[in-house]
Amino acid sequence: MDGLDLAPEAVRRARAEGADAAEAYALTFHSRSVYIEDDVPKVAESRSETGLGLRVAQGKRVAFSSTTLAASEDLASVARGVVSALKGVPDDPDFSGFPTEAGKGEVGGTWDAATAGMDVSGLLESAKAFTDAATEPKETSVPKALVRIQEYQFRIANSNGIDASHRGTLVFAYLTAKAGSKEKFGEGIAKALSTSIRGIDFAALGTTVARRAAETLRARAFKGKLAGIAVLDPMDLGEMFLGAVGGAVNGEDVHKGRSPWAGKIGQEVASIGVTIRDRPRMPSGLASGVADDEGNATRDRTLVEAGILKAFIADRKHAALIQVPAGNGFRRAVATVEGAYARPAETEPSNLVVEPGRRSLDDLLRDVESGVYVEKFASPEVNPFSGAFAMEVRNATLIVKGELGDHVKVALLTGNFYDGLKKVVGVGRDVAANHAFLTAPGCAYVPPMAFEGFELVGQA
Amino acid sequence: MTELSSAAVRALDKAGAQFGDVRIEDRAGFVVRIANEQVQSVNEIHRRGWGLRAFMDGAWGYASGTSWDSAAVVEAARTAVAIARGGAASGVPKSKLRRMPSSRKTDKPRIKIEPRDVSAEEKVAAAMEACRAQRRDGIANTNASYNESDWRFELANTWSAHVRWREVRVRVAGQAVAREGDHREAAYEFRDGTAGWELVKALDLGEFGRRVAGEAVEMLAAEKPPAGLLTVVTDPGVSGVLAHEVMGHASEGDEIVKSRSFLTHQIGKKVGSSLVTMYDDGTYPGAHGSIPFDAEGTPAHKTTVIERGIYRGFLHSLETSAALGARPTGNGRAQDFGRRVWVRMTNTYFGPGKDRREEILEDTKSGVLTKSWISGMEDPVGGAFQAVTQSGFRIQKGEVAGRVRGMTLTGSALSILKSVDRVSREIHLDGGSCGKGEEDYVPVAAGGPYMRCKIVVGGG
Repeated sequence: MDGLDLAPEAVRRARAEGADAAEAYALTFHSRSVYIEDDVPKVAESRSETGLGLRVAQGKRVAFSSTTLAASEDLASVARGVVSALKGVPDDPDFSGFPTEAGKGEVGGTWDAATAGMDVSGLLESAKAFTDAATEPKETSVPKALVRIQEYQFRIANSNGIDASHRGTLVFAYLTAKAGSKEKFGEGIAKALSTSIRGIDFAALGTTVARRAAETLRARAFKGKLAGIAVLDPMDLGEMFLGAVGGAVNGEDVHKGRSPWAGKIGQEVASIGVTIRDRPRMPSGLASGVADDEGNATRDRTLVEAGILKAFIADRKHAALIQVPAGNGFRRAVATVEGAYARPAETEPSNLVVEPGRRSLDDLLRDVESGVYVEKFASPEVNPFSGAFAMEVRNATLIVKGELGDHVKVALLTGNFYDGLKKVVGVGRDVAANHAFLTAPGCAYVPPMAFEGFELVGQA
Repeated sequence: MTELSSAAVRALDKAGAQFGDVRIEDRAGFVVRIANEQVQSVNEIHRRGWGLRAFMDGAWGYASGTSWDSAAVVEAARTAVAIARGGAASGVPKSKLRRMPSSRKTDKPRIKIEPRDVSAEEKVAAAMEACRAQRRDGIANTNASYNESDWRFELANTWSAHVRWREVRVRVAGQAVAREGDHREAAYEFRDGTAGWELVKALDLGEFGRRVAGEAVEMLAAEKPPAGLLTVVTDPGVSGVLAHEVMGHASEGDEIVKSRSFLTHQIGKKVGSSLVTMYDDGTYPGAHGSIPFDAEGTPAHKTTVIERGIYRGFLHSLETSAALGARPTGNGRAQDFGRRVWVRMTNTYFGPGKDRREEILEDTKSGVLTKSWISGMEDPVGGAFQAVTQSGFRIQKGEVAGRVRGMTLTGSALSILKSVDRVSREIHLDGGSCGKGEEDYVPVAAGGPYMRCKIVVGGG
């Protein structure tokens, strides 16, 4: 019996141990990674892992246990252990049972045969395409880069007869370049995520990080303050959307009183040009699937339409509490699925998509009289409760009369993201995918956007 | 040595590895999460697996898995050696490793009360107490969690080393969200360390919860922080972010070998005022980042990084110590059995000064005092600092005045350290989890004294 077949077996064993109901999530994955250091492939990895998460209930008491499936006795051990753990758990009055209707079929493009079949030597070619382009300028080198492909499959079964499965491929690249001499350096960083190795243009990314490194090297400390238009690159903007909007539309946060958008359905939360959807059925989406990680059937839905809040997302438990459809119970992340079986599903976005506009980045920049274009922050973090942020810029360029000018550093872009969403003055057309962090589910697909009301703060 | 580790080492030798090792890990965890005084989840986690690596002429090959079949381990050893050979053939510069005396030791953790001997009911009750104590007017949402980890390691290598050790950590956290109309603010506090249940027993959980809630409510009335280059008194948490994110990451030997650190050529040079001394110490009793051995089997070590303002040294793995002609410092660490070894910090902190906190504040005409950190981001190439604080206070005429909201601090780390003119005698370390780039998280701690310096401040 292979690892995935153990999901229904785990449900059977949990029931035999005394659970009223049970849900098992079995996951297996295989990764290949190449790490470039100083322009050459210094480290390469091959990794395989199979694990199982088992959630059981007795009345309103619920417990969860997980294990790697290293040996045959692991299954019996986890079933026995999790049912035994129920004794120490108080009732969860909000528990409403496990899903009864599963998603069937598959979403196109989530699994790519060429990616799944690629070995380490294939990865080396992609890494070389990146390194060759990044090191084309003489003063630039690649101190550190990672390219990883992952093939995964999960199966979820429960005591209501649900039996759903999904397979996918993930490609993740974290790429850096360094420009400069012995005493003074500039660094450029880029990331890329896709379900297919062919979906990433490694040579173009090499050119981008080399340019960013050179610009950072030339950047000067910004003095004073600048209140103009901020144009934000889609990668880090995507992380801001996941941190802020991902929380604001989260049904668990709404139920618990944490969401700033609780009670605001039908109200204006963004500019008229902003439409945001959760799209688990998007072809080739990193978080796509016909079933979420609880087995619930997924569905695309509009969360914000022309600036008006329309809907929240939820896992099964919180869907019942706030009266919305389930389908957003997730455990797997989109850069790697490692560890996904070791955590129970929680409410998370799938593919959080900001509807792109028709204008290019150049068009957005051309309209700016005075402002800043930020390609990379040190860490794009927004306070999800208040929307406040102050983020150090790592790749930033001043905009004067529609033209890019001086590169700046040692400065913070400050503002309130929820207020900023109501002052969007431009939405670009070219969307990029990004995630929040290693193990966080959810993927943002966001175009470049221009905001009013943010302020760049430097030294006095 | 277990059968599995013996088989792995024999297979690495037979496949022709110049050096090879195997790490076998057995990781258990227990997590309780409470929200609004209801149990959200009770999770038991169990992960077992092994990771092998082979070194060939400067290149590394890694292979890992979770199958306990010794045939799988033997096959993985062949894969690791083949990958390493492929890397060596693709132009990796030849290098050597620093051979350590072969150690055959077993280390036992110094904990007083085994977490596994405490019932699940008691752990749930502790988290519930920390959550319930947050209930008060103005609070919209209360949260508390208890998290324990019990990790067992066995490491053997082709140099005849064989070590076993255990790492036990416990963490209690609380987060309250306060609300007034549409305005929400959150406060967060935690206690953690390499410790057993005694860490929880020593806490007044009621006081802990009330303090978190009080902070959140106070934050509702907090003002926007002042912006620009200001006199800042950093609290121990924020001092720790400066130590860890900038000076610590830039002192990691692999960054030095790649010249990816602004500290590469700074040994013996002045990098801070004479009041600044900094250590990385994996032996710090009870701290969250303490380890008996690193992931290469090197015993933990206390390294002086900065001594009275003069930069003294780097942190090393077996490979970087050979490359830079130094002794290994016990800083070769890996996230888990499936991930590669990098040079990583353990407990990184600034040493104490001679002042009392009150003396520093009384001597400050105007500025801000930080209160607890939320996050930080490294910049080993550029030496820029970013830390996000939970909140802070204005300092006016030597007195702590009104509370200000969370702020972000930025600037050149060397400029900040050279501006340090007062340092408190009391120090404190906070635990956390540290990534390298975006991945490879390991438990660490960071801290230091209250330090007065000049930093660019901004807040949303």
